[in-house]
Amino acid sequence: MVRIKHRYLLVNILYPDAKHSQLAPATKPGDNVPYTVQFRRPSPDQMNGGLLMRLIRDGVVELFGDYGSGKIAGSLQVVKYFSSATSTAIIRVSREHYRLVWSALTFTTRLPRPVDQPCVFQVVRVSGTIRKAEEEAIRRARLSIRRAEAAAKSSSVSIAGTASTTPTAVAAGEDDFDMIHGIEDPDEPGDMDVDDDG
Amino acid sequence: MAPLRPPPPLNNSKKRKEAPTNSQPNAPKRHKPTDHGQKTRDARTLSTQTTSKAFKNGELDVSAFVKSRAFEITALEEGMARSKKALNRRAFQQVPKELRRRTASHNVKRVPKRLRERGKREMADDNTPTVTARRRKPTAHMRLRLETVKKLRALGAKRNAGKDRVKPPVADPNGAAPKNPADSAPDQQQPVKTLAAIKARTPKVKQSLLATPPLPKAKFRKRQIHKSWLPTHLFHAKRARMTAPSASLWRFSIPLTPTAKSYRPTHRASHARGAVAWDMSYISTLQVEGREASLIGMLKALGVDEEELVGRQGGKWRQGRRVLEKFVFEREAPHDPIAPVTMMWCRDPAEQSAGTVEMEKRKRKLLLRVHPSAFYQLWEELLRLAKVAKPAVSVEDLRFEIGSLEITGPGGTEALLSALWPSHPIPGPLAKGDTAPTAMDIDSGSSNKNTVVEETWSALAGLTNPAVLPKNALLSFNVQDPRLHHPPRTIKLPRTETEQHKLLELIASWPVDTVQQHPELFDRKARQAASAKMPSQKAVNRRKGLAAPGEYPEPLPNDPQIPVLLYTTAPTNPDRGAPGRQSPKAGSWTLLVPWKCLQPIWYSLMYYPLSTGQQPRFGGLDQYRQSSFEAGKAWFPGDYPGTKAGWEWEYAERRKREAEWRKRPKGKRVNYKKVEVGEGGRGEVGVGWGCDWERLVGGPPVSHEGVEAAADAEKSGKSGDKSAKGVKTKAQEESQEPPQQAPPKLPHLTQLPARQALALLATPPTTTIKLPPHIHLPSALITIRLTLLTRGVPQPCARIYRLPSSTANPELRRQWLALLSSNTRNHTQKHGGKHAHPRNLPKTGHGLPQHVVQQRLAQSLLEPARAGEETYPACPGEEDLVGFVTTGSYDLAAGFGTGIGSLLVERVMGREEAGERHLCVVRNSGTGVARLGRWEVI
Repeated sequence: MVRIKHRYLLVNILYPDAKHSQLAPATKPGDNVPYTVQFRRPSPDQMNGGLLMRLIRDGVVELFGDYGSGKIAGSLQVVKYFSSATSTAIIRVSREHYRLVWSALTFTTRLPRPVDQPCVFQVVRVSGTIRKAEEEAIRRARLSIRRAEAAAKSSSVSIAGTASTTPTAVAAGEDDFDMIHGIEDPDEPGDMDVDDDG
Repeated sequence: MAPLRPPPPLNNSKKRKEAPTNSQPNAPKRHKPTDHGQKTRDARTLSTQTTSKAFKNGELDVSAFVKSRAFEITALEEGMARSKKALNRRAFQQVPKELRRRTASHNVKRVPKRLRERGKREMADDNTPTVTARRRKPTAHMRLRLETVKKLRALGAKRNAGKDRVKPPVADPNGAAPKNPADSAPDQQQPVKTLAAIKARTPKVKQSLLATPPLPKAKFRKRQIHKSWLPTHLFHAKRARMTAPSASLWRFSIPLTPTAKSYRPTHRASHARGAVAWDMSYISTLQVEGREASLIGMLKALGVDEEELVGRQGGKWRQGRRVLEKFVFEREAPHDPIAPVTMMWCRDPAEQSAGTVEMEKRKRKLLLRVHPSAFYQLWEELLRLAKVAKPAVSVEDLRFEIGSLEITGPGGTEALLSALWPSHPIPGPLAKGDTAPTAMDIDSGSSNKNTVVEETWSALAGLTNPAVLPKNALLSFNVQDPRLHHPPRTIKLPRTETEQHKLLELIASWPVDTVQQHPELFDRKARQAASAKMPSQKAVNRRKGLAAPGEYPEPLPNDPQIPVLLYTTAPTNPDRGAPGRQSPKAGSWTLLVPWKCLQPIWYSLMYYPLSTGQQPRFGGLDQYRQSSFEAGKAWFPGDYPGTKAGWEWEYAERRKREAEWRKRPKGKRVNYKKVEVGEGGRGEVGVGWGCDWERLVGGPPVSHEGVEAAADAEKSGKSGDKSAKGVKTKAQEESQEPPQQAPPKLPHLTQLPARQALALLATPPTTTIKLPPHIHLPSALITIRLTLLTRGVPQPCARIYRLPSSTANPELRRQWLALLSSNTRNHTQKHGGKHAHPRNLPKTGHGLPQHVVQQRLAQSLLEPARAGEETYPACPGEEDLVGFVTTGSYDLAAGFGTGIGSLLVERVMGREEAGERHLCVVRNSGTGVARLGRWEVI
């Protein structure tokens, strides 16, 4: 029997422009919240798996027409994981057609109607098993915690409360200073491994 | 242990916690189907937070951000662990079906080695209670037994000590034999050699005396008081359902069916790949000895056809080169059928050298094999015949001296080859691994004349169907102790075309027929020598230990030479009436060996790694019946109700079914009184749980009351009215109490052999039939095979009707024939089950367009009626009842339901019209739907 093979896309939703956000903090960005936190802000509550699914389908239809939507229709599944609090999703799609989904995500610039917010979808990992996608998500979550704490420390915001909850972040500590304001993620694996020790 | 315990529940006997009960008292009782995927789905769902958790008072905040990430990390990690555990199966669940063991869940040693470590860990994790037999607290019953054992041991020790004190003068190992050998245990009889020197008188073989079962070991003696065990009893008792201790079958404890599911695997192993073996030691063996002429006269008296006995056809059989299977009959006037008997002659070594006079004078031996249910009948008959035979004939009962097994399936020959190593060292593929000897080699004088049979046997590697060999071929030679070559290894099979060609040549020339070798199995001394010489397992192990690694121990001159006799059985293949059925012609091997030598051979067979993978399977009685049913053969005694044994079997089955029926509550069992038996009649014909031959032969019971008798007469006059029948059946049913003993067989009920039956059926109705005077035609049965032409599966006890005659009920007859005309068109479509009829048009509805409705109408008019529709023909009346199905089920070999049954020949004679050869209507007992079928004589 031939096994049906899938690809799991680990996707982050980024919000580069805070001005258009309905949930924008009253204060100006950069005041007390580091930019890395604003950039990876939580998605609004209306944003859920179903909406993401619709977004992908519409994107694929727009880019590839009926052909594309038919190809992915059978295997697409977002419900594997979607966390609006961290703007992370794991999407499953068949191995042959994951590129269609990826490109549809890449070309998306706005979340659809009920949310209607500019955003960027970043596919950070394509893997053959959900396990590897989950591991990567964990790694990235650790990394962003570290960054947020480091940024907060540098901008002289007290993070005493948070430091105790995440001892791993403290252990990694000082090395991340040069990346505080970095927008792009360092995707080179070697770089990652260094960060990941903690 | 927690100090505070919950109050003990009322029922405190259960060790483990009970499952949580439904707290709702009025919960609906409807059972919901278990959703097995739910557990996996639950385990795979990852928990998420809402967005609000990531904000602090609706604002972005670093600490909230960090917390939400931390939550995500834990959620993902937890999810990974959970899903891993959900997919995880316990070690003992992962083994293939045939390696599963009941105790594997709490005994690590029951799982294969590669999984044992894991299993151990899992049990430790799960806190599985593991108790070894040594440390188990004995149950009350067991404790009593153990105490008794202890007491007996003490007593025995005291007694032995006392004996030792008396013994010293006798205990000298070189001295005389102990004074009372009956008292001492058999293994204490040291001075056997001295006994041999004295040369005790060999006990005279008692002829014409029933054999007694071998004395079992003291440990097992109590369990074999009213029955005996097969030589492989211990093997089967562990792996199969045996006959109940109280209800032994034919005084044997016989495996009924393996514990593992085996209906389909047995079919596959015997037809496609693998092998199935049966221990057939319960089949009785008899030996008659005397001059050839008087033996043949004896067989003639038993009703065996004369042309088979003395004609050219039986020449090879008389020389002892083939076996013959024939039905035998009683000698006295009613000539009741007894049983099918397999007969084989002992081949005479001095056949050609002797003159004709000597040939006539010499004594010959004939082996008869008969089913144990008919043994006593045949035994009596033989004794009676032996008394009157001149010159004298001696009859000997070899029941517990010769055991046998049967093996079928493509791998059967291979497995037998690996178990039976000929005693004479031969340059065959088994001994040296060289090329197989060709037929030319064996034929020509190059090889020793004495080893032709052995060489031929060894050259049969690669044979997948014993039916290819000359029909009923017989091989006899001596083999080594198979334990020396245990565990068996896969033998070398011919791979190249030339090798296979050689095999074909060998089969065609069959050099075994030319040799004159005396089969030693007929020789009592050889049998006993082989049994006595069998070394103990300890001695075998020692020899195996001394052999070089990977080598088998060298054969020694002192080794036992086990005489074996092998013959093939190919299914008789008469002209099959049912079209489209390709007959499975797989033959089988039957092996006869001395009773005590069977067990090691059996173990070698069972553990042989087949070249196609897996090992030979074993079968029970049910599998044997299944395999003969799939081959289209009738099984003795079940399918021969005209014989005494078959009658008893039918009666036992009837009681079993009745008990099964009575066990069920009234609302859940078939109400036989209300079964629609066609044309408005109600009430099953005869007893619903049996093949009611009494009713069939004797007709409906005549009641004593005048009114009913009148009604009965009226009914027999015009067949339409059957209202009286239901009442009578009821009365009969209530009055009937199942007696313990089977009632005597109906006086004239008999079973006609196929040839006679065919001759009877072929005679046109106008001519007077000349019959042997003893046959009472109104109660003569013929055995038939049955195929259903439309749908349905015949079950045991199904009623077989003929088509109603064209004078009595032409309308019904026409309806049944209408089913036939539409169905014989396409045979492949016929048995296609639900999809047989092209009913792909939409169902009737309100919104259907006109043309679709018309199409439907046209189609429904053209199609034959289906069961349950108004136009479907009713079952014919009781006056058209002709017989019953004795075995019936879905036939895996044919791919549809078939059955084997018996018919009253008189009722089907001369009822044939053109184009409706052997048509019948079959109705399962307790159902109202009848099916059209076709039968053929077997």
